[in-house]
Amino acid sequence: MNDRATDRVLIDQWREEPAPLLPLLHAFQERDGWLTEDVLRAVSADLNIPLAELFGTVTFYHHFSQEPPGRELPRVCDGPVCRFQGAPNLIEKLNAKPMPCAGRCDGPVPVLQSDEVLTGTSFDQLKTNPSPLPPPNPGAIEECVFAHIREPGRATLKGYRETGGYDCLKRVLAETPEHLVSVITESRLAGRGGAGFSTGKKWAMVAKAPGQPKTIVCNADEGEPGCFKDRVLLNYDPHAILEGMILAAYATGASRGFIYLRYEYPEAQAVLEHAVAEALDAGFLGQSICGKAGFDFDIFVRRGAGAYICGEEGSLLNSLEGKHPFPRNRPPFPVTNGFEDLPTAVNNVETFAAVPPIVNHGADWYQSLGSGDHAGTKVVSLSGDIQCPGNYEVPIGLPLKTLLYDWAGGPREGQSIQAVSMAGLSGGFLGGGDLDEVTLDEPSVRSRGSFLGAAGIIVFDERRNMVDVAKNAMAFFAEESCGKCFPCRIGTERLTERLNGSALFNDSDSWHEEVADIEKTMMATSACGLGVAAPNITRSLQKYFPEQIAAHLK
Amino acid sequence: MSNPLADMDKPDVIFCIGTNMTECHPVAATRIKQAIKRGAKLIVADPRKISLANMANLYLPLRVGSDVALLLGMAHVIARDGLVNRSFINDRTDKGEAFLEHVQQFTPQWAAKISGLNPCDIEQAAHWYAQAERSAIYYTLGITEHICGVDNVQSLCNLALMTGHIGREGTGINPMRGQNNIQGAGDAGAVPANYPGFQPVTDPLSQEKFKQLYGREMDPEKGITKVSALNECGKSIHAMLIDGENTVVSDPDRSHCLRSLESLEHLVVIDIFLTETAELADVVLPATAWGETDGVCVNTERRVQRLRQAVPPHGEAKPDWWIISQIAQRLAVPGFEFESAKDVFNELCSLSPIYAGLDWDRIEKAEYQWPVPEKDHPGTPILHVDEFKNGRGLFSLIHYRDPAEVVDENYPVWLTTGRRLEAYHTRTQTGRAAGIDYLLPEESLEVNPENLAEWNLTDGGYANLTSRRGTVKIRVKSSGRSPLGTVFCSFSFNDVPVNILTGSGYDPVTETAELKVCPVRVEPA
Amino acid sequence: MITESKPVVTATMTLDGREVTYTEGETIYEVARRANIEVPTLCYDPRLEPFGACRLCIVEVEGGRNPVASCTTPAVAGMVVHTQTEAVEKHRRTLLELVASENPEENINPLRGYASQELNQLLEKHDVQPGRFQGKHSGTSNKDDNPFILRDYNHCISCYRCVRVCAEQEGDHAITMMNRGFEKQITAEFDIRLKESACTFCGQCVQTCPTGALGDRKAMRAEAQKEDFKKTRSVCPYCGVGCQVDLLSKEDRLVGIQPAMDGPANEGALCIKGQFAFDFVQHEDRLSKPLVRGEDGKLHEVDWDTALDRAAEGFKKVRQQHGNHAIYGVASGRAPSEASYTMQKFIRAGFGTNQIDNCSRA
Repeated sequence: MNDRATDRVLIDQWREEPAPLLPLLHAFQERDGWLTEDVLRAVSADLNIPLAELFGTVTFYHHFSQEPPGRELPRVCDGPVCRFQGAPNLIEKLNAKPMPCAGRCDGPVPVLQSDEVLTGTSFDQLKTNPSPLPPPNPGAIEECVFAHIREPGRATLKGYRETGGYDCLKRVLAETPEHLVSVITESRLAGRGGAGFSTGKKWAMVAKAPGQPKTIVCNADEGEPGCFKDRVLLNYDPHAILEGMILAAYATGASRGFIYLRYEYPEAQAVLEHAVAEALDAGFLGQSICGKAGFDFDIFVRRGAGAYICGEEGSLLNSLEGKHPFPRNRPPFPVTNGFEDLPTAVNNVETFAAVPPIVNHGADWYQSLGSGDHAGTKVVSLSGDIQCPGNYEVPIGLPLKTLLYDWAGGPREGQSIQAVSMAGLSGGFLGGGDLDEVTLDEPSVRSRGSFLGAAGIIVFDERRNMVDVAKNAMAFFAEESCGKCFPCRIGTERLTERLNGSALFNDSDSWHEEVADIEKTMMATSACGLGVAAPNITRSLQKYFPEQIAAHLK
Repeated sequence: MSNPLADMDKPDVIFCIGTNMTECHPVAATRIKQAIKRGAKLIVADPRKISLANMANLYLPLRVGSDVALLLGMAHVIARDGLVNRSFINDRTDKGEAFLEHVQQFTPQWAAKISGLNPCDIEQAAHWYAQAERSAIYYTLGITEHICGVDNVQSLCNLALMTGHIGREGTGINPMRGQNNIQGAGDAGAVPANYPGFQPVTDPLSQEKFKQLYGREMDPEKGITKVSALNECGKSIHAMLIDGENTVVSDPDRSHCLRSLESLEHLVVIDIFLTETAELADVVLPATAWGETDGVCVNTERRVQRLRQAVPPHGEAKPDWWIISQIAQRLAVPGFEFESAKDVFNELCSLSPIYAGLDWDRIEKAEYQWPVPEKDHPGTPILHVDEFKNGRGLFSLIHYRDPAEVVDENYPVWLTTGRRLEAYHTRTQTGRAAGIDYLLPEESLEVNPENLAEWNLTDGGYANLTSRRGTVKIRVKSSGRSPLGTVFCSFSFNDVPVNILTGSGYDPVTETAELKVCPVRVEPA
Repeated sequence: MITESKPVVTATMTLDGREVTYTEGETIYEVARRANIEVPTLCYDPRLEPFGACRLCIVEVEGGRNPVASCTTPAVAGMVVHTQTEAVEKHRRTLLELVASENPEENINPLRGYASQELNQLLEKHDVQPGRFQGKHSGTSNKDDNPFILRDYNHCISCYRCVRVCAEQEGDHAITMMNRGFEKQITAEFDIRLKESACTFCGQCVQTCPTGALGDRKAMRAEAQKEDFKKTRSVCPYCGVGCQVDLLSKEDRLVGIQPAMDGPANEGALCIKGQFAFDFVQHEDRLSKPLVRGEDGKLHEVDWDTALDRAAEGFKKVRQQHGNHAIYGVASGRAPSEASYTMQKFIRAGFGTNQIDNCSRA
């Protein structure tokens, strides 16, 4: 076993780095296979984190292990799509641990072992498969973030520069940061992680907020089941994300950046670290970027450890800081009190990737990509019972029907679409006539009591028992609830029990009454989006599939 | 304390020296922890790596008994680097110039040699302390229980005076008192040099005042201290009235204590238990315990607070004031017709200038910190705001002195004694509280792990600890808190009477024993 | 870290139809408390950073979509707040029903701790009957055998007041939250016993626990005694910090200690000695009668008159033989000031000397 001295060597590699805890724990887990008591004691002492706190934080994450076999233990995705593609069988065969949706819903079931992702639908087919690219542009409609992503070599600096990558930097740096902010504001680019806050406004707030250094955080913790859009950008167009972050840094006056990457995308980590090294080498990162004195910006890749809630920006910031990853109370917001309590812009991968094309083509161009009054595009991750699953960049406002039937080939042979999920699982389900009427924009989706969010859409055909789907969805939220606020911590558990039949009822009225009360209180009083959104599952279930509930309650 | 406890989270720099606050004053220590969280810097000087040291931004592991050297070295650096507060020295102090000249000889290198510290750490401490907007000093018996206890305290005062870190919020010189009412005992005049309220017994005006009040001539001479009195037992002292003190266990040089008390013609002890001391008495008088009687106590920040009776006295126990009054009445001493604690306290207020604004009813809510010189006075949370008690602050020209005994061939190890979180004093109270044994069943000697092998000791085994005065057998515990060559234990356990060993010397002014330094020999037992 | 003193900025907002003034930085909850408007909460402790877990303190802010947690939301000038709308009351009831559902029903004896009745009182006040939202119970009691702190997590509601008071107030960071969501448990590192952890048994976690999941084991020894306990405010008998305490007594028995939340020196804090080491007071070793040394050289119980006469006689004799200076008084630093005062008066008025000292030198 390793002694204290060798532990110290590893700790010394990281202790002076920004946001050192997660990479240090990963380094130890990689070395030993799991996190031993001795290691936690050493990290606690040297990073000056109380041992109990460190222990609690470590137990929060799925992928930190404190016992053998640790990281060698295979983990199989049992997300809502993989469940139908043989995940249960794989889990049994491999004696594996289930993991929540790992973001490979557009292909076979992913199995994560050490830092390798294998995919397959049965035990004997498992192999490394490249993460699927978006299907060829199906609508012949102009794309923004996917315009060049299918070009070979795009992930390298050379490939990225072939179509003018990083060219706009020099021009932008010659103008004021305010000018850049105004371009982004005018484009009406809004948070593509799902919150939909104006990116330009956010950057303006960070630029204005007092306190240095400021920070840009790229939220690449794509944990929503049925969402895998960021994965493809991270794997195939990393420089677009970096360039977007560099532009954000210039706009806001930030000098350090983090990419908070979900644990389940190990291949993306390699791609990103390579891209950062290339950009640093080429002078697009580091000191005096593009020769502009005083414009210094560095990007650090930090890998999460498996916690859905870390996609919530407060949790993400706490996680980066090495704290217990509970969401933060708001106000104050990260724009003034973010990473290390200093001004911070947290944006989604897709948002950053959209910035360079906007700067290159102009705000008007980006606005015009939307349908009707809507501005811009949105990448939709489409999966489940559909002919052509994958990521589709759609004009905002595109009819759902067009995406499902014209772009993605409609349901599987001989089946019909019963329901789709929205915002991964957080938006609950749409069914019935709404499937034909809704368009892919927030006003339309919200008018049906759901939301578009990060735009994961899972298709369920008539074969699926929707109560069962809902039960698994709610169990996911219960599993991922951080445990801080009462309505979410207890509510997700109680709703799960009401869907899985473990709570017994004499009459269905009281079931409905209890479920409705929990839903209302969760939506109104939960401290973050998880608890507010989770009841969409049961509400939409009752709205579209009352007969399936009736059958469940018999 | 010059400043209130509530001030403890306000300094920018906190200098703790000779105080194991997390164990001895745990609730005060929580305020320091909170100050650190708010960004205050903590400097800790202590021979042992106590838990405060682990929280410190700068830890100074000085050799036992070398505090003066460290403090002189710091003063030198502050003077050398132009960090003195000139206007404070000019406006508020005397002998400043002489002091600044005096410290020129005490370089950090000199201080380092004596204390075993790194000279650059001494410089760092001096810089931090002097440069901060607010710096506060906290100390306990690690400063006073030395032959140079007074020198230690005055050296700390010098630092505060030369930097002006006194008389303001978040600054000051703050001794942490160890017993719940040790402050009140001094306030009430239970000292050989002062009447109640620190009115000197040598002051003719005060003598006249108390002559009137007590109806007899007052002795113009100070009395002798308790330490001297113990030395005089059987010589000039022949009777003692001891209230609530287990002298035999708590005082240094236990055999000497025993002999002294045994040689008295008459010993009366008032206590709640039959302590080792009470066992020697001719008369033992059972007092009411805490919780059984009303009264007043004064905490370390000079806050005057009420103790209240919750349960009836045990057996026939009586309040201390009643017992003493009864003896006085039997000796026909007038003025002891008290009917309640309230009567007694109000009499004290009436003749003590620092309590003049107080009475029993006014302290109901514990709002006052003395001095409270008149009735509508709000009390004095911070001392020395505009002037010092005697007008101007006086610098003292101190020199370093070695401890009374230093390590040598026969006694090569430094023993330093102290207290533990779970035990209080001689355990007359905590030793009788259920559950404490679960955490602290026995005393042990903390020995640095590297010394264990060197001295042929085993962790958990026993050692004989021998000083020039005797030998004690004690269990050995390996502990990184002890520096190399220094061992530690507490004096709380009667079965490990460590005060058999101590008593090497006494401060010439206060006659406080040097309990913090005692060269010993450590051998396997 | 010390910022210069800034003038206090005040502004006004409307609370349940009343215009109230607040100071910049105050939360809605703090403003409401000052205005004597009772807003329920389970995770709030005024000494701790706002946390926002229980959501019972939600209020409606005009113009906002959802109610907000008043404990974490700063007051803003012109804000119009309603603390008791029908919708808010309904949510509070649902939240309380949910909390009630996660634990077994039990009457918690108030001896468990200072705040131990908070949950039950809220349930009663909101007339919450058990039975709704039945399901799995959270929390598993810990078998920790320490004699001071009962860790009955069957009653834990995950408000984390214990974890926060340990970190923020006591600064020990001995306990933490293990796992997530409904599976969350309060533990020390590696789930070890408190004895092996950084816990100093100060008892602050016990006293802030709103359900009695943490209990004062020493006080609980008196649970069987039926009558209510009485509280008497006093000061801790140990070190010089002077923490205020409440002595808990049942009839003639001293059964426990609770910290005074408004004690100027301690503001609700205590240490192991002040919290748990009180039972020396009624210990069987206590002296109950005066003792006098007999001819046989042994101490014998006598009545007070005999003992006092003997005490006085001895001093008289020594004075006659050796003079006033031969008599010495040692006062106690642990007895009340009245003891020290009478002792010095005894020496000074009785013998005219200054042969008096106290035990501060040891």
